[in-house]
Amino acid sequence: MPSKFTYNEEALENLRIEDASILDRLIDDESFREGNLRKHRGKIDKRITLQEAVSKYVNDGDIVADTGFSYVRTPMQVFFEILRQKKKDLQFIGSPNTNQSYVAWAGCSKYSHNSYIGAEMRGTDRNYSRMVKDGRVKVLSEWSHGSMGLGFKAAQYGAPHIACKQLLGSEMLKYNPFVKLSRDPWSNEPVVLVSALHPDVVFIHCQQADRFGNAKISGPAVNDIALAYACRKVIITCEEVVPELVMRFDTKDTCIPFMIVDAVVELPFGCLPGCCPGYYYWSREWWEWLMRIGLKSDESIGSFLDYWVFNTTDQYSFLEKLMGDLGGLKYLNNLKRLEKAEEYLIEDIGVDFSYEPVIPKTE
Amino acid sequence: MSTPANPFEQLAYNISLQIQDGQIVYVGTGLPMVGAMLAKKTHAPNITMVYESGGQDPWEGPMPWSVGGAATFRRAPMNMEMAHSFAMAANGFVDIAFQGAAQIDMYGNLNTHFIGGGFWDFRSRLTGSGGGNDLSSLSENVILVGLQDPTKFPAKLEFLTSPGHLTGGNSRREAGLLGNGPVACVTQIGVMDFDPESKWMRIKGLNPGMTPEIAQACTGFELIVPEQIEHIPTPSDDILQVLREVVDPHGIFITFPPRVK
Repeated sequence: MPSKFTYNEEALENLRIEDASILDRLIDDESFREGNLRKHRGKIDKRITLQEAVSKYVNDGDIVADTGFSYVRTPMQVFFEILRQKKKDLQFIGSPNTNQSYVAWAGCSKYSHNSYIGAEMRGTDRNYSRMVKDGRVKVLSEWSHGSMGLGFKAAQYGAPHIACKQLLGSEMLKYNPFVKLSRDPWSNEPVVLVSALHPDVVFIHCQQADRFGNAKISGPAVNDIALAYACRKVIITCEEVVPELVMRFDTKDTCIPFMIVDAVVELPFGCLPGCCPGYYYWSREWWEWLMRIGLKSDESIGSFLDYWVFNTTDQYSFLEKLMGDLGGLKYLNNLKRLEKAEEYLIEDIGVDFSYEPVIPKTE
Repeated sequence: MSTPANPFEQLAYNISLQIQDGQIVYVGTGLPMVGAMLAKKTHAPNITMVYESGGQDPWEGPMPWSVGGAATFRRAPMNMEMAHSFAMAANGFVDIAFQGAAQIDMYGNLNTHFIGGGFWDFRSRLTGSGGGNDLSSLSENVILVGLQDPTKFPAKLEFLTSPGHLTGGNSRREAGLLGNGPVACVTQIGVMDFDPESKWMRIKGLNPGMTPEIAQACTGFELIVPEQIEHIPTPSDDILQVLREVVDPHGIFITFPPRVK
């Protein structure tokens, strides 16, 4: 299929992309606007279940955005549901795009718009490395966090592209079809042009939303305000659905307006095993298991996902398993306590933040 | 008398000395975070820390495990978005940013993409850029941090993720990049800087017990050895006490040999 746009040729060649039409939807401003013109205008109750939302709004082949920051306010339970529903051929984009690793392993995501995969001090992701090497994941573009963030911002502000000083001199310029080396028309200085980016579907976890989709994010929004405006289908997952009047009397932290939102999913504990600011800490044990045992081989990640995803049905059965393995309600309460104490919403004197690895060193 | 500084503690101390009071410091997790917090607790109480996920100026508290974790926005007066936090660097509000990498070359260019082959046939794929390229491109001063050995400090990178001084001389400026680029490279050997003309890495100061020969043996390209080399002191007992009891009391980052993460 002929592609609609003129991409960076060198990048297409380096990335071995033969059919560039696979890239078109991400930067198609025109069809994005047309889709938005067709969105429902009214203030209607948009609440549905997670299962319905994934089934209705995630189509095979869609470009899915990772949100939050790897495991901070990231709706990991949504990705688990995408696995359970066995979606196929998804493109994944996000800065970071850490959660693509296990989604790809399960066969749901074949394509990667990559900025950062890993869990910081917990190490690099051996599973993603294997999958890129043997071709199960195909990298379609390489980004820095900031340049991808600017692509989302350009979309939010209705600008076809944005000029920036990132990526200059970097080899990523030769591995990204959506950016172009250019010159500032006024100063003649080198700049990089980043196209506005429109992923197909995004799930954004908010602490609170009303039933129409007005939503509040507390703690760092990372790219999520930009993504809410940049993406074609927007689903808000939230810890709590609050009355509309809460939004009108307390506008603090409200950053997503109802008209851009397609659906609202009440999803308490939706970020577990990651953290949700104001609500709960991440499960450091789970992440240690994932990074050190789960991602080690194809077999290990298979049994890891069987245990945590395919043999659970929703966030509650996941949570029951997690609590069952780690200390019951006391564990859950400690997750709440750690998050609030670290944010200094509650007294932190006497709260123990230390962590002892659960896997013996000789493993 | 405290136990003498281990290599990580010396490294954290050397990192802290790169920071001047009053600066805005962009920090990632790991030893740079430890060094920055040590600086704040000792000679630089008035620095402001900012983080790429959007946290800025958090209230003093526990060591963050993640650059998006609660400690990075603990009682912060406001939070930024990611694009905004890098815009602060582009607009001249980031004085120092710290960078680590799998590979660092003589011009301070960095590779965080893969090692052991090419884009398709690597031995190991790494994290990718993250915010590294943004900070390297936009911050006023970049401090590199790493454990120095010939494979991590090669003459040629396998992939150039984040720009240092590119091909040396004026090339960074000509490419249109902002800021001074890398101004120092802090390792277990000591502190390197970059020749003002050629922008090639040179020895600036050595940790106790280190010699130019050891430094060279740990480097995959020729280091410039100036006539005058600073002798970096070991941290005093007072500083070690702050480091061990206040900054990283659980020894998450300064335990040597490193504990399992």
